Amino acid sequence: MNSRRTLLGLLATAPWLPSARAAEPIVVEFWTMSLKPKFTPFFEALVQRYEAANPGVKLEWVDVPWDVLQTKLTASIAAGSAPALAQMNVPWAYDYALHGALLPVDAWLDRSVYTEGAIKDLSFKGHVYGFPHYTSVNVMGWHRGLFKQAGLDRAPTTLDEQLAMSKQIKARTGVAGFSPALGKIAGIFLEEGLPLIAGGRAVFNSPRHVALLAKFADCYKAGGLLKDKLFAQDNFPASIDAYKSGRLAMMVAPPQALTRVRDDAPDVYAQTDAAPVPVGSADIAAGGWLFHFAMPRGTPPAVAAAAGRFASYLTGDENQLAFAKLASTFPTSRRAGQDAFFRRLAPGSGALEKGVAIGASRMDHVRTLFVSGVPEFERLNKRLQDAVEASIIGRRDTQSALDDAVAFWNSRLKAAAS
Amino acid sequence: MSAVAESLTQTDAGSTPRRRPLSHTVVAWLFLAPALLLLALFSFWPVIWGGVLAFTEYKIITPPTWVGLRNFEDLVEDPVFWISLKNSLLYLLIVPLIQLGAILLAVLVNNRLPGVRIFRTAFYLPVVTSVSVVGLMWGWMYNEQGLINGVLQWARVINEPIGWLSDDRLALYSVMFVTMWRGLGWYMVMYLAALQSIPAEVEEAAVLDGATPWQRFWRITLPMIAPTIALCSVMSTLSAMKVLEEVLILTQGGPVSSTFTGLYYAYDQGIRAFNFPRALAASLVVSVFCIAIAWLNFRLAKARHR
Repeated sequence: MNSRRTLLGLLATAPWLPSARAAEPIVVEFWTMSLKPKFTPFFEALVQRYEAANPGVKLEWVDVPWDVLQTKLTASIAAGSAPALAQMNVPWAYDYALHGALLPVDAWLDRSVYTEGAIKDLSFKGHVYGFPHYTSVNVMGWHRGLFKQAGLDRAPTTLDEQLAMSKQIKARTGVAGFSPALGKIAGIFLEEGLPLIAGGRAVFNSPRHVALLAKFADCYKAGGLLKDKLFAQDNFPASIDAYKSGRLAMMVAPPQALTRVRDDAPDVYAQTDAAPVPVGSADIAAGGWLFHFAMPRGTPPAVAAAAGRFASYLTGDENQLAFAKLASTFPTSRRAGQDAFFRRLAPGSGALEKGVAIGASRMDHVRTLFVSGVPEFERLNKRLQDAVEASIIGRRDTQSALDDAVAFWNSRLKAAAS
Repeated sequence: MSAVAESLTQTDAGSTPRRRPLSHTVVAWLFLAPALLLLALFSFWPVIWGGVLAFTEYKIITPPTWVGLRNFEDLVEDPVFWISLKNSLLYLLIVPLIQLGAILLAVLVNNRLPGVRIFRTAFYLPVVTSVSVVGLMWGWMYNEQGLINGVLQWARVINEPIGWLSDDRLALYSVMFVTMWRGLGWYMVMYLAALQSIPAEVEEAAVLDGATPWQRFWRITLPMIAPTIALCSVMSTLSAMKVLEEVLILTQGGPVSSTFTGLYYAYDQGIRAFNFPRALAASLVVSVFCIAIAWLNFRLAKARHR
């Protein structure tokens, strides 16, 4: 009798039986983008807190370097082994959503927690495709010593001034002025209120577009722009390195770049002041780049529900504020954004604190600018990018280069429409 | 012949021959099976399936639909693809340079000189250095205000810094130089092994016959390492056609698409633009070029050998 009871007991606790399975925690794997090792203690503590409060959930945190995240995620989605949540930027989310590779998160998202801009950034075809986390906005770190050497005593307030000062700095000090994000020319056009498409046709060969590029070309020719990686998709690292080593007078980057200057080049940091980046005609603050947690398609419903609850916690007021303070980024939670940390500038603050305050004051103007709804955009953008590069470095006449690119865009747009 | 092989081929006189050759074949296949299985799974299957997908419209999670040659037509219409192919062929320029350089280095470090091992290690160091480190290092050196421009300006060779990576007329050659620098050590070791396998008696006989060092190199050394030259040339040609990492780290195809190569184009289409079918179509075209050039290389080497 005893042996029969023991056998029944063993069977009841066997892992293949439903009662035993029900006790197993739901595993929520989430990927972050290049946050190790700096934010390891933050995430480890967050995971511990959440698991302690939610015994039925086990969290698995995986940090993936930003340059391989997209590749790994694409492969894992195709293989059906994607994580429940993955941190990414808006253009990636748009691409994935367009291909049906993400789940809408409307069911778990409390829209009232987040800023309107952040929700708009993640809304495609009437659904929201992610939990907004943090965003950034560019500020300008400028080198007072180099400016003084060039006979200048203040930061520029318009793009025209910035280009003119860059030429002057190059002429008098031999150092380049700044490194605009020309590898993302579509974003620059949008910041300046210059459309790429109107009425279903490409229109970026207008006199205003040509005039803008001519200004950059003129500055490039005079040596006012940093040439290294000027047309790279992400030229921040090159411009930060150049600024730190005194090879650049103005660094246009999110405020956290100033922490690198402070830590790696204290002499340069001592000479650095922060100022707002000139706002273009569209009244959008440059450098808005929202990061969020998206939910890849294929996540089982039970895991998706648990992941949705966890993502709401991870991107809630308290955790966003803590993360933003740690990372010198800007929260997308309404309440966190109102915290005194971002709004009050203590006396004797350095360029970093000033940069954070300037950035926070511009949060209402932040949007992630990218072109959406254009079929084959990568291919079309490559043609536009090549035309812009060729015209700025003086290989082609700006008008004819843009005319050719517009003709190509229109032929492809027409083909896609038919 | 081993005892096992002997027993497998032995037949009894007057009786029907036993089917030992078959079991011999089966054993051979069994030994090959694990490696073949891995090859089939991780090499043949992806190649075949990738080849099929090149003729489809395929977007990650939707099932592929057959579109015939449309992806190849798209390639033909894309000027960047033609630039990429042209650059891949231009890249072949480094093959003779790298082979010549490697042979010279091998001859130099084959001498019994004090400290020669240090040189051998130094020349081989770029081979074992991670490509990311190599890319970062050369990126800094090529900067407008980097080491190379600094030295040239200091020596008054140039007045204005040269845009090694930012000038579209120079960038490809700058990247090619890095590939050459990375590859020299590898081929040097191959040639060193070939040189050390040349029997000493042959060299000694030539010395006794009064041959000059140049005659010995030209008449003895070179002919005896000819098979290694053929092999290294093919390997180097294929590597040049398939170059990707240096472009990815140093220039990302720019400026003005001047450093796109065939395989970088495929990478750019597949991984950045998510256009997998066009990436696969481009890869197929590059593969055809690789196979054709390898075949030509072997044919020429064979003809020389005869």
